[in-house]
Amino acid sequence: MDNYRFRIAAWVMRNRLIAVFCFVCITVFFAVGMRGLTIKTIFSDLLPKDDPYVQVFSDHPNFGNPLTVTVMIKRTTGDIYNADTLRKVWEFTRAIDLVPGINHDSLISIATEKARYAEATPNGVDMRPLMEDTVPSSQAALDDFRRRVEQSPNVRTFYVSGDETATIITAAFLENLLDYDVVFSSVQELAAKYRDDNHEVYVVGQPILTGWVYKLQEQTYMIFGITLLALVVALALYMRNIAGTLTPIICSSVAAVWGFGLVGWISAPIEPLLMIVPLLLVARSFSHCVQFSERYYEIYAHLKDKRKSAEVAMGVMMAPSILGVITDALGIIFIALAPIPAMERFALFCGFWAICIIPTGVFLISIVLSYLPTPRNIERLSSQDDTRGVQALQLKTLRILAKCTHGKAARVTTVVTALVGVVAIVIAMRIEIGNPVEGSNLLWEDSEYNTAIRAINNHFPGVNTLEIILEAKTRDVSNRVARTPEVVRVALEIQSLVENDPVLSPRATLSFADYMMEANRLFSGGDPKWLPLDPTVSAIRAAGTAVVFGTNPVNFSHISDYEFQNSTISLWYKDNKQETVDAALASAQHAVDKVGADHPEFTVRMGSGTIALQQAMNSVVSRYHWVILALLNLAIFGVVAFAYRSFVAAVIVLIPVNLSNFMLSATMHILGIGLDINSVMVAVLGVGVGIDYGIYLMSRICEEYSEDVGWASAITTSITTTGKAIMFTASIMLLGIMPWYLLSDLKFMADMGLLLVAIMLINMILSLVVLPLLIWLIKPRFATRDDLMVGESIDLSIFTRQLEEVSEVKNKVYPSKGNVDLVIN
Amino acid sequence: MIIKKYDHNYGRRQLLKNMAVGAAAGVLMPLDKLFAAGADLAKAYPDEIMSIDMYTKGKINTGDYLTADNVDIVKELLDPIVFDQIKTMGRRIKIRPTTTDFSVMFPAEFHAKTIENMNNGVTAIFDKQGNVITKDGKNWTGGLPFPSPKTGAEIQANLAMSWGRADYNQYAINDTVFNPDGTKAYDYEFIWAELQVQARLDGTVFRNMKDLLRFQTVYFTSTQDVAGSSFLSTWYYDQAKFPELYGYLPQFRRVRQFPTNQRFEPLIPGVTWFLSDPWAAGDPMLTWGDYKVIERKPMLGGFNAKWNGDDENWRAGTHGGPNGDTFWDTDYELSPEVAILESKPVGYPRAPVGRRLAYIDMRNNMYCGNIRFDRQDKPWVNFETNFGQYKLGDKVVLGPDGKSPAWSWINIHSFDAQTRRMSRAAHQKENKGGHKSEFSFDHDKAYSRFFTQQALQRLGQV
Repeated sequence: MDNYRFRIAAWVMRNRLIAVFCFVCITVFFAVGMRGLTIKTIFSDLLPKDDPYVQVFSDHPNFGNPLTVTVMIKRTTGDIYNADTLRKVWEFTRAIDLVPGINHDSLISIATEKARYAEATPNGVDMRPLMEDTVPSSQAALDDFRRRVEQSPNVRTFYVSGDETATIITAAFLENLLDYDVVFSSVQELAAKYRDDNHEVYVVGQPILTGWVYKLQEQTYMIFGITLLALVVALALYMRNIAGTLTPIICSSVAAVWGFGLVGWISAPIEPLLMIVPLLLVARSFSHCVQFSERYYEIYAHLKDKRKSAEVAMGVMMAPSILGVITDALGIIFIALAPIPAMERFALFCGFWAICIIPTGVFLISIVLSYLPTPRNIERLSSQDDTRGVQALQLKTLRILAKCTHGKAARVTTVVTALVGVVAIVIAMRIEIGNPVEGSNLLWEDSEYNTAIRAINNHFPGVNTLEIILEAKTRDVSNRVARTPEVVRVALEIQSLVENDPVLSPRATLSFADYMMEANRLFSGGDPKWLPLDPTVSAIRAAGTAVVFGTNPVNFSHISDYEFQNSTISLWYKDNKQETVDAALASAQHAVDKVGADHPEFTVRMGSGTIALQQAMNSVVSRYHWVILALLNLAIFGVVAFAYRSFVAAVIVLIPVNLSNFMLSATMHILGIGLDINSVMVAVLGVGVGIDYGIYLMSRICEEYSEDVGWASAITTSITTTGKAIMFTASIMLLGIMPWYLLSDLKFMADMGLLLVAIMLINMILSLVVLPLLIWLIKPRFATRDDLMVGESIDLSIFTRQLEEVSEVKNKVYPSKGNVDLVIN
Repeated sequence: MIIKKYDHNYGRRQLLKNMAVGAAAGVLMPLDKLFAAGADLAKAYPDEIMSIDMYTKGKINTGDYLTADNVDIVKELLDPIVFDQIKTMGRRIKIRPTTTDFSVMFPAEFHAKTIENMNNGVTAIFDKQGNVITKDGKNWTGGLPFPSPKTGAEIQANLAMSWGRADYNQYAINDTVFNPDGTKAYDYEFIWAELQVQARLDGTVFRNMKDLLRFQTVYFTSTQDVAGSSFLSTWYYDQAKFPELYGYLPQFRRVRQFPTNQRFEPLIPGVTWFLSDPWAAGDPMLTWGDYKVIERKPMLGGFNAKWNGDDENWRAGTHGGPNGDTFWDTDYELSPEVAILESKPVGYPRAPVGRRLAYIDMRNNMYCGNIRFDRQDKPWVNFETNFGQYKLGDKVVLGPDGKSPAWSWINIHSFDAQTRRMSRAAHQKENKGGHKSEFSFDHDKAYSRFFTQQALQRLGQV
């Protein structure tokens, strides 16, 4: 046993106090770093930064009103023209102005002075608020109010629903003063206060969505707690001893502190939506520890010496453990290839955490085991014969599985596997990209938020917008590009083209030109014939000035920037289904192509808004799904081929995990679920974790195989020993992830949970069936070599003899002391 | 050995006591007595509130600059938004000596008229509605109505009855708006003209329009998109009535009437200030209410600020902010007694404003700034105005009497502390295109040039 792994193991155990000291210091260092830990959602960081649509969105984040809260008050028994409803609108408008962080200038409802109607007078134009200083209450006042609303085309389209049963209040918030929790709770309280038998109140907008995510974070922490508890209980029930239960907890906690500490020190916020993955890491750490502990107990059963057994276990398990962790980490790290900032930070955080499982799951665990009391049930844990209860059932199942992988049964299994594989691949290739939900994909379809989105979409142009940006080439305070003839011409032409699109026309369109046309009409006497604008600089300037004089530019921030340089053409579509997204983008692109993208003073850029951003998310999936998987396969191929010194070995472990991916995609397609960023993450994590099972099992088969033993026996023994640990670790991970699907109100988490459970399960079965089957079919030569890095075979009799010799010497010198610590090189 | 007559905090303590008992300005003796006698006001206050050197015990001296490094020492002497600008935005302010000569703190005619009133026993009272009248029931006849104000309403009336403290003022103004990143968003030039109809220094009622207080017009000369546009505001003497507000857009040749109660929107797109803000009295006095002096204390402010006569167009240099041009170079002095006047927009049921605090220098009853708070009582926008005599060394601009130096506002900072936008305005000699500031001008000509709807249409044709 004079190889470097055993030398390292011996050195560590010889200096275990120093090692403990080092672990404590490093852990304290990272624990201090945890003070800088921030857990928050940054929505823009969930978008792929290299996508052209996302770049347009980043350059013009105001268009589409991302920081605006929209409240819809709906009268359920009639229209809004009654004192009761209008008083609610008035009071809600006044009350929302008290929510911290509001941009007071942006608050608009039919009860604010900003909602105006205009009347032409003999000398000019009289512009008055729709509502005077009091809520109309008499029938005459209510009738007059309705007349005023009808004289205000923009209010009629965007602030009062077509059926007159609903009205909208919009309020934007200042990014530097915005506290999502406060806005969310304040607005929700108001909504609850103003709901009654006759009124429904719906609240949507990015701040509210973020508020929901933050609110559900508390639930996330609860699920986290439940999951951790379930993992510990499962571990305790499986191990039934203190050392076996405590060791994984200590090692996993240390790795977690290191992982959290790193992101704390580098001040990288953690995305709470991805917290399921750290939990997966805890489960992975637990399972590595269980694998390790079981091996330690096997060794201890022979050696009867804690420290020596820990040293030997470290030497034996070092290579397969490190290899297993590296494949896990690769799965996480390769996620960073998708150019999504939140994923990049996440890959750093979780990748580092995964790597931390190496020192904790190889060195620390050995030291901890060597200090903790010896379990009394070691014999039973290490025995394959004396099994009861779950372990008996487990063994029985594993023996049945083992039988399917060799001998005559192997032929049937081969045919079935091949058929299932082909069918899975064929179906998987038909999976569609995109998984649209009306509203937010983070929440369930029947969630309060998505219900509100549907209600607003049903009454107003809605929230599914596509923004076509007219971006000024220069910013000159004496030339407001958004108010120039060329911008007006291009905007109106694009609007006309998309409105007349034969395939799909938008529900509504809006550009600053619309406001200018309306101002032109009013200031020219009110006749609709004055709507068209003269295409001259002076006429357009005049109309632009007519719109904005006496108002705040913030009132137009959804359609133009503060300086009227950049502007947008907003197109509202009925939904965000993929066919709508495709048709909308095609229609808009056609219009842009027709008018041309490049103009002397501005550029027409496609696009922003929910439609474009959804396409960006779909696009990143289609661009990176196969690339990430292929590169991950390649990396793992290299690592495994190196470890086993065989390309065949790499192929053997990669086939089951890739097959499980195809099977997952096929299942998703059958269930009508599209491929999205969640499923990409699951796929890569699945490969990383699934490959682990393969490595453990294949190493054991190599260890067990000899010409005398034969393939069948080696496979059966491996499946009933290492397979048992695989089954346990897979189960423990399922236990860790399942609550997320069952309990989470965040659809994003639940989806991830479901997909991870599915892929873990498929991976487990395939690695227990397909991998041994492949070995049986191929009968690889590398298994016969005894110089494998990952081989776990060891002749414990060497250590037993050494122990006996030392013990004899010690007894001669110190007859009363019995066994003493051993140092064996 | 120097025996000090009063301890260091005596002045501040006494100001608090005076406020509690509703006493007039002055600590050691009533300020109005010195004012009426044309005496030096230093006699009214102990030394430690007449000198920043003494107030800070030498930590900050006259001639020093307030910077982020030392501003904490005088935090309680500053408007909180100005403090934030110095602390976080690179603003610097030079400290000048405290002025003790009343005569340089007013336009000469206004000063003379006020003293004349005091000498002749012409005093102001409020009528039943709350409007200012003389004690014999006539509309106010000019000068400070309440030279020795004891209530918040009296202080407000001193600001509201005559904004520019002259019968006619015409300011050529540049207003530049800066985005939070320091880039320029807007750069307007306009003429602001105001003609007193009543409360005039010449004792007349202009064209016998007894129901009006003043006319005021804003006429844009650049940028090109707004040039020729204008607003006319006609103010009633009755301060409970909203002014009529008309806008004119030359290209349409149409006058637009604005809602009279729409006071909380910027008149010009982009600027941070509302019609409510200028003069700390931008709305009729009785449409606001609950006037209350909440504190009297020494403060640093742009009182008697340096006029930039050495610049051809009277513009100060700039500094600070992201691009080094957000703030005017200004100087502040320590005023021994500033009243912090709180008021609320009681006449506006939909006002987004909760209250306003105005900082009034009790030496001349003029504000140096006011802060508008939102309804959550968070500071929203300030309107810091620096006033002073138009005299620098041998350079002087004469006021309406053609003999004395003019006295007016010099520059303005209006900063939105929530959106972090800055409107920075200068009272300049002339705008591009030749429209000039005027302190002396024929009032009839001014009326027909600026203050009728026809005048707006003519201005738009130019």
